[in-house]
Amino acid sequence: MIGDRMRLAVGGLLALAAILCSRDALADRFDLIQKRGVLIAGVKSDYPPFGMLDANGRLVGFEPDLAAELARRLGVRLQLLAVSSTNRLQKLQDGAVDVVVATLGDTPQRRQIATLVEPSYYASGATVVTPPNKHLSSWADLRGKKVCATQGAYFNRPMAQRFLLDLQVFNGTRDTRLALRDGRCVAWLYDDTGIVGILADAELRNYETPLPSMMTSPWAIALAASERGSRLERAVSDAVADWHRRGSLIAIEQRWGVRPSQFLVDMGELWTRQQPDGSLLCGRLANGNWPPECRNKSLLSSDEVHGMQRFGLLLKEHAGLDVTIIHDAYDRGLFLNGLWISLQLMASCIVGSLAVGCLGALAAEAGFPLLNAFVRLTAALGRMTPPLLLIYLIFFGVGHIIVSRFGWTFDGVAIAVACLSTYTGCAIVSALLDASAVLKDQQPGFSLRWRTLAQALRLAYAPVVASLINVVKATGMASVIAVPELISAATAIIAEQGNSAVMMNVLMVTYFVLVLIVVQFFNLLERKILQRAQR
Amino acid sequence: MRSAEISDILWAWTPFLAGGFAWNIVISLVAMSIGTLFGALLARLRLSGQKPLAHASLLITELTRNIPTFVFLFYLAFLIPAEFEVAGQLYALPAWLKASLALSVAVSGFVSDNLLVALQHQRNGNHVAALLFIPSWTTYLVIIVMASSTASVIGVGEIVSRSNVVIAAVGGDETMLWVYTYAICYFLAFCLPLNWAMGYARKRLLARIGMLAP
Repeated sequence: MIGDRMRLAVGGLLALAAILCSRDALADRFDLIQKRGVLIAGVKSDYPPFGMLDANGRLVGFEPDLAAELARRLGVRLQLLAVSSTNRLQKLQDGAVDVVVATLGDTPQRRQIATLVEPSYYASGATVVTPPNKHLSSWADLRGKKVCATQGAYFNRPMAQRFLLDLQVFNGTRDTRLALRDGRCVAWLYDDTGIVGILADAELRNYETPLPSMMTSPWAIALAASERGSRLERAVSDAVADWHRRGSLIAIEQRWGVRPSQFLVDMGELWTRQQPDGSLLCGRLANGNWPPECRNKSLLSSDEVHGMQRFGLLLKEHAGLDVTIIHDAYDRGLFLNGLWISLQLMASCIVGSLAVGCLGALAAEAGFPLLNAFVRLTAALGRMTPPLLLIYLIFFGVGHIIVSRFGWTFDGVAIAVACLSTYTGCAIVSALLDASAVLKDQQPGFSLRWRTLAQALRLAYAPVVASLINVVKATGMASVIAVPELISAATAIIAEQGNSAVMMNVLMVTYFVLVLIVVQFFNLLERKILQRAQR
Repeated sequence: MRSAEISDILWAWTPFLAGGFAWNIVISLVAMSIGTLFGALLARLRLSGQKPLAHASLLITELTRNIPTFVFLFYLAFLIPAEFEVAGQLYALPAWLKASLALSVAVSGFVSDNLLVALQHQRNGNHVAALLFIPSWTTYLVIIVMASSTASVIGVGEIVSRSNVVIAAVGGDETMLWVYTYAICYFLAFCLPLNWAMGYARKRLLARIGMLAP
């Protein structure tokens, strides 16, 4: 009968499913590893000093050390297996290895085909190798400069866009090295984990790596896709967290002569940070997950978080707008701090310019011919000196000499305000002196004094306000001496996140609104003054 | 560092720095040209008598007045690609041209406002008063030449960037002070005479139309 046959078929299928399931249960990796007493780990053999072959043909390096540490924690022996960038995830899938510790960058695509353990144990990024004594102090120093790069690196294009580098791309490592040696570029953009290999070259021994790594891509230990949420994942994850808390990774890094990684320092700080109640910030939540603050931010999605962060991530996922100042607390803090400093700069420059302008004009009209000539000449020179050059001159030129002679250092904000106020003040002096000349024509016996200053200011209102609005617009120049105002904040966020379109528009709109507010304020003031004059 | 040593260094690098200042002039002249063309268009539209057009151009003029040039420089540097493709042809937009474009925004606002006044004078048959536009324009050129130094922040090889190159190449504690001072001298030498000449021209013109009381 057909019904019977159906029942038989269904029964067979159920039995088969039961067998498969029990096989699956048996194949729980954690049990399997314990049963066989061996952890099989895939590591690299061609990436010194992270994974390489020693003189006896054994696999050694940073990552084999991590694998050994994992095996010790699981209480089993270790068996290492060489894997390559192309086959490492395949070997995981077909079960040839239990874990992969092989310079694997954590990306959303790879998360689809394997279980990538959080937290990450290392990170690679882009940095530069420069000839000795190039005096680079920040990435911004490389804007518009010729920088050599090797073809095929994932960061070439984004780094060129974020720091406006004039990239000279060469075919292989050898060609790039020669170009750098021959001075065809000021720096070589390279993967920071490969730097050790480059600096081992006798010819480049004195070369430097002065800049912090950028566009860091975290490296994760990988397990098979089916291990998501398993005991093995939890064990490995706990192990990595523990390494960060104890500083084990920094010790292993030192053992292999790797350039100290800022990532490990930051992670060490994050994973040992305590909350006010004394518990660890990065402890397991009730659901067994790590808190969002301790996850890889670039890989979080909106359904894993709440509040502002969720709103920002939804915006990114649905509208493609990566407004990191909404969903990333660090960027938000950076931007708000920039806004605060810009506001302070603007207010200080307005007050400073007015002070310089009024005092200068009063001094010129004080009745001493020599002082008058001096003020007029200084005002003329001050108006014709580009403020940017003045800032460089005072901050670096004069500042350097004062530091080396007397050991005093000056605050960048104070110097920017002083330079911009001097430049604008000189224009205000001229405007006030012109107004004073007109008043002298109209009222015999007029002289510019503290009492009559208001009269001159009223007459020179338009040019004085125009100068003040210009200085408000120019406050961004403070960014050239690393004052963390709005422009510095925006370029720093772009450097980390690569969201130049969003951040530049946010910056432009913010500045536009600030200038508009200042303009409206002065319009209001003008109306008030007119009303009072009419009364 | 002895003064002879310093003057030797400055003398040796003079061709390089002077070449940089030539770039400042080029950037400024291009900015003035673009800005004047656009500003003149705005001024004409404001006088056209057609309400919507006049309103729109007034609005654009207001907009150009509120855009900070220094921020706009970064905006263009980050948002306009260095190379772009139009109909299969690859065009390059060098950084110095981006600087000119950023500066030209301020120029167009200035020209729109000042040419408007000049054109009104012209219409009223007040030709000498209309001529006042010329010294104003030249004085603005001086301001733009000074502002062109900001192009250094996006990597244009003008005099400020080149000063930094010299400082890095020479080294030494006092070099910075002297190289920057020397660079400032270029601006003073160009801007001061031009500014005084224009001040004189303005006075003469005002005297001719009798606006200046004797």
